[in-house]
Amino acid sequence: MTMSNSIPPFEITPYAGGEVVLRLSDIRKTYNSGELAVNVLKGISFEIRRGQFVGIVGTSGSGKSTMLNILGMLDVPTSGSYLLEDINVETLTDQEQATIRNRKIGFIFQSFNLFPYLTIEQNIEVPMIYNRVSRRVRRARALELAKQVGLGHRLGHRPTQLSGGECQRVAVARSLGNHPTFLLADEPTGNLDEKTGNEIMNLFHRLNREQNVTIVMVTHNPLFEPHYDQVIRLRDGLVVQEFPQGAFAS
Amino acid sequence: MMLFSDIVQLSLQNLRLHKVRSVLTSLGVIFGVGSVIAMLAISEGAKRKALEQIEAMGIDKIIVYSKKPPSAGAGVSSSRTSRIDAYGLSAVDRRKILELDNIERITRVRDARKKILKGLDRMDLKLVGVDRDFLEDSASGMVAGRWFSGLDFHSPQNICVIGSNVKRKLFPLGARDVIGAPIRVEGQVFRVIGVLHNDIGATYPEVGNPNDMILIPFPTSEILYGNYAYTDDGTGIRVTLIDYDVFLLKIRNLEYIDNTARRLINYLGKSHSKVKDWEVIVPLDLLKQREATQNIFTIVMSSIAGISLIVGGIGIMNIMLASVFERRKEIGTRRALGAQKVDILLQFLIETVSLTSLGGLLGVILGIGISQIITYYAGMPTVYSLWSIVASMLISSLVGVIFGTYPAWQAAQQNPITVLRAE
Repeated sequence: MTMSNSIPPFEITPYAGGEVVLRLSDIRKTYNSGELAVNVLKGISFEIRRGQFVGIVGTSGSGKSTMLNILGMLDVPTSGSYLLEDINVETLTDQEQATIRNRKIGFIFQSFNLFPYLTIEQNIEVPMIYNRVSRRVRRARALELAKQVGLGHRLGHRPTQLSGGECQRVAVARSLGNHPTFLLADEPTGNLDEKTGNEIMNLFHRLNREQNVTIVMVTHNPLFEPHYDQVIRLRDGLVVQEFPQGAFAS
Repeated sequence: MMLFSDIVQLSLQNLRLHKVRSVLTSLGVIFGVGSVIAMLAISEGAKRKALEQIEAMGIDKIIVYSKKPPSAGAGVSSSRTSRIDAYGLSAVDRRKILELDNIERITRVRDARKKILKGLDRMDLKLVGVDRDFLEDSASGMVAGRWFSGLDFHSPQNICVIGSNVKRKLFPLGARDVIGAPIRVEGQVFRVIGVLHNDIGATYPEVGNPNDMILIPFPTSEILYGNYAYTDDGTGIRVTLIDYDVFLLKIRNLEYIDNTARRLINYLGKSHSKVKDWEVIVPLDLLKQREATQNIFTIVMSSIAGISLIVGGIGIMNIMLASVFERRKEIGTRRALGAQKVDILLQFLIETVSLTSLGGLLGVILGIGISQIITYYAGMPTVYSLWSIVASMLISSLVGVIFGTYPAWQAAQQNPITVLRAE
């Protein structure tokens, strides 16, 4: 195993981060299915600071997916407050939420979710299109991002011509288009083999360390925990462990 | 909201991706528009031809002609072998009609009812006596030789002007100079002095098209044939007593043509009270009637077109709804990446409109193709009007808007959470 494919050494000091960009307090989510009310999230509070690499971990049924949806503003909590930078997210209209998703959140999915009929370049441009970035600027930015993830030479290809790892790199490039406040990655290595998965993790790590990109990663893979500056472990809709210890207390 | 040009590009990209499916989807619209264009072209062609024929009779004319009454001959003679049919317009009628104040002149036409033979074959041609104004009043022109002079009418001789079809049928191919050539008709010989051509296709009741006529001066006709004709219909000799077959009435003031026609009909009705052996045609009236029928036809056509486009539209709506379901992961991803509902709505709406517009375009091409084939094989004239093509295209696009709105709205309403989870 070469250096670049291995998990970075453990002794990297967890980064305390810059100013707070995400603040969740007492987030609860209840689903009403008929007469039965299911409490999925039972009061979750945490903060994420700029430049941190945060892992949200937990087994299935722990409320991980719901947490992801709320963080990604695809769903709203039943109660509690969610501040993204200075914006109180709960009060936004559907249209404003879409705009926030577009400008401030970079989505990365487990199954990449690239558009098969678009070229790599066009795929990377999609969030910028919704942000009304001019064609010329979009092109330049797409090239820059593709180079950043090591795919500058494949702009004209289609996703079907790429390997899984390459597809996820394209998805990472796409998520960065509008300089989002944070990247929200949902099991980004779930569909990849171990080696390719590590490559993607290293890409995240590099972006985090070199460009100070805030990353929130939702995963159940415990092997990646050494990467995180902060771990939020969910079980039965509650935070059961935080890492480093006392990170939220300060 | 994203830039409009980007939405359009995106929608077209999707159609290009599924070329075959796109074409299959718009088949309803393609055939709907195609059949409408073809049928309109055919009806327009038929209309033009009919109008040309009506106009060829001259809209400043009233045409009166002798019509053999159904009972003619029955009461006149009881003889089995020799029957006499006496009917039609007479010299008295001519004088009386000329007294109506809005009539400038009457051009008389009389078919001599002679067999025109070439060798032993009977030709479908007529020997016809006409007045001097016939050339002008039938809107014909001379292609060779000359028309009758005043002298030809003062001192009648055996001369004739032949129609262009007569020349083609009676004279061998390539015969340069038919002027001066003799034509023999039942014992009489006529010398050709000119060749006439009527290129607007005027066709008169009873006597037909001037191109099929051997024309002789009216006085010659009177001297040689009088007002009678013998015909042998196989059961015996039949005598037809008839002064004139057709009157071409030239009208002075077109404004009062209706009034003139009414008085003419009044007069003929009174003077021919026993049997109706006459008929009046007012080309202008026919023209108006024809236009009225055409309007009805157009309304019927439009209804059929409307129904076929609705059917096509429903088909497209169905496919688009299926497409929304099939592409819900794409929709969810787009929503997660920041697409507004209106972006999704417009993407699908423009896709549908592009589909139907494309269908409209292909339909127009198909329709023109069909009418070309019909013209080629069936010899029917077809005319496409620009408005029918433009209207078809616009209506196809409108169908896209109408039937694309619901699927597009459905697409925009998809909940990104549930659709993202759908694998």
